[in-house]
Amino acid sequence: MIAIRELVKDYGPFRALHGVDLEVARGEAFGFIGPNGAGKSTAIRCLLDLLRPTSGSVEVLGTRDLAKHPAVRARIGYLPGELVMAGKQTARDHLTYLRELRGGAGSGRMEALAERFGLDLDRPFRGLSKGNKQKVGVVQAFMHEPELLILDEPTSGLDPLLQQEFLSLAREAREAGATLFISSHILSELEAVARRVAIIRAGRIVDVEDVAILRERAGQHLSLTFDAPLSAAAIDAFSAMPELEGLVISENALTAVLHGSPDRVLKEAARSTVTAWSAHDRNLEELFMERYREPDAADHDGRRR
Amino acid sequence: MSRRYPILAGVLRRRRRGLAIWAVALASVCGMYTSLFPYMSGMDIEAMTASLPQGMMEALGYDDISTAAGYVGSATYGLVALALLLVFAIGGGAATIAGPEERGELELELTSPLPRSAIYGQRLAALWIQITVLVAVVFAVTFTLNLLQELGIPQGDMVAATVQLWLLIGFFGSVSLALGAALGRRAGALGGAAALAVLSWMFNALGPLIGLDWLAMISPIGWYMDTNPMTRGFHGADALLLVVASGLTLAGGWWRFARRDLMT
Ligand SMILES: Nc1ncnc2c1ncn2[C@@H]1O[C@H](COP(=O)(O)OP(=O)(O)OP(=O)(O)O)[C@@H](O)[C@H]1O
Ligand SMILES: [Mg+2]
Repeated sequence: MIAIRELVKDYGPFRALHGVDLEVARGEAFGFIGPNGAGKSTAIRCLLDLLRPTSGSVEVLGTRDLAKHPAVRARIGYLPGELVMAGKQTARDHLTYLRELRGGAGSGRMEALAERFGLDLDRPFRGLSKGNKQKVGVVQAFMHEPELLILDEPTSGLDPLLQQEFLSLAREAREAGATLFISSHILSELEAVARRVAIIRAGRIVDVEDVAILRERAGQHLSLTFDAPLSAAAIDAFSAMPELEGLVISENALTAVLHGSPDRVLKEAARSTVTAWSAHDRNLEELFMERYREPDAADHDGRRR
Repeated sequence: MSRRYPILAGVLRRRRRGLAIWAVALASVCGMYTSLFPYMSGMDIEAMTASLPQGMMEALGYDDISTAAGYVGSATYGLVALALLLVFAIGGGAATIAGPEERGELELELTSPLPRSAIYGQRLAALWIQITVLVAVVFAVTFTLNLLQELGIPQGDMVAATVQLWLLIGFFGSVSLALGAALGRRAGALGGAAALAVLSWMFNALGPLIGLDWLAMISPIGWYMDTNPMTRGFHGADALLLVVASGLTLAGGWWRFARRDLMT
């Protein structure tokens, strides 16, 4: 559905993308995560032929040259990162206009979607709150039931309730067979829809991974409390376990991040008397933050696909 | 029309109120200037302007200001209608692509199933239609007053002046639109087209004064009016120059618009 190869994009002397490679299969829900200025919107605008690659290529819905085959965009729903519409017109005016540009597709769903998101179609765009403007964007992206949805930070500005509503709309689209390409700053928000995510930082793809694998890699916060300070032998045993990361033992308490099976840890702990324990999944954000910060993540990991 | 040319229909729908206001304003100002002529001819204009050097009088088109055609040509067609229509065309040209693109309003249109050529072409058509409406308003007002006040301006001359005015205004609108489409910047479009208009006026008005007649010959405003648009009749060669200049500018704007990054 989407194939980006060796995509380089310069803004004047500034290189925003340094050779991005990505592939999204039909029917896949794909997340595109990265901090501000990483190049998400730049890559997305290349996909839609707003920007022309400096080098490399993009292929969308089997077409390499959208300039020659613009009609292919009738099958794409696009939500811009920053939606701006002329202020005087109402949301209905804008949506009707977009429907005409798309050859009339989407008449039926406009009202239903607006109602679902509690959007008043008859107020001038100018007077709408940020969230309401975002709703107009969501409605126009979904109303013609496109095969491919390219959504640039779709939940920004939506309150938690509407974020949930958006996510369920996205899931419905996926179940109906649509392909989704969603950018976001926040990994956990995409967990509910995306199976696979790419992480982009400073114009380079740092990682492309299944959400489930990322989740495993994130590990669990583990804490154990014993009835007495641990023996030197026990401390040595715990310290030698590679599955425990960031191990801290103070007096009779132990905390660490556990990756993989807890078996060895539990067996060792059982030699002493455990008075309290807890283990909870680590927030994906925490892992994500590590990735962002690691200055040379791209060099360590290569550009894995 | 909104099926076949949705962008054209949409732009016209959004601009219709503004266009109506322009039409009323233009009709009032042109009507006022033209209807002043009988009072002006009552006064001794020749005496009033006698102190001006002959060259200056010719440059300003005041040498035959005592005749109706001379007056309407220099005051209405050569000054107020010209200036107002230039403001409309240059402003409207910049607001056709560069303005909404720069504000970010064009993003969903530019990512619609329509090709860039449809966006350029239909928006261009919308601008020319608006210009045509306003030029027609100027013509209608002048034509009516000519009859009502028995000014006796030959109707053929009036039609010729109007056609050439239309081509001139269309040219400046096209320059502003093409520059905006090429640059994606409203200020660049406005600045470029306005600078060209001012230079063009100065070349036509002042060139002959300082003995450089060829300056008037390369001036689009010169191609329109020479010294007086209402008395010169139809000049095929000058009209053709305006058409060709518009075509070349629009082709250049399209060449760049088709290739450049949008919305940056
Ligand atoms: N029109 C432009 N001219 C110059 N530089 C630009 C332009 N647009 C973006 N950039 C730069 O390119 C880089 C990537 O920007 P981009 O908008 O793609 O980031 P992003 O990942 O979408 O960020 P955000 O999460 O803030 O939306 C940034 O450093 C930005 O400053
Ligand atoms: Mg962005």
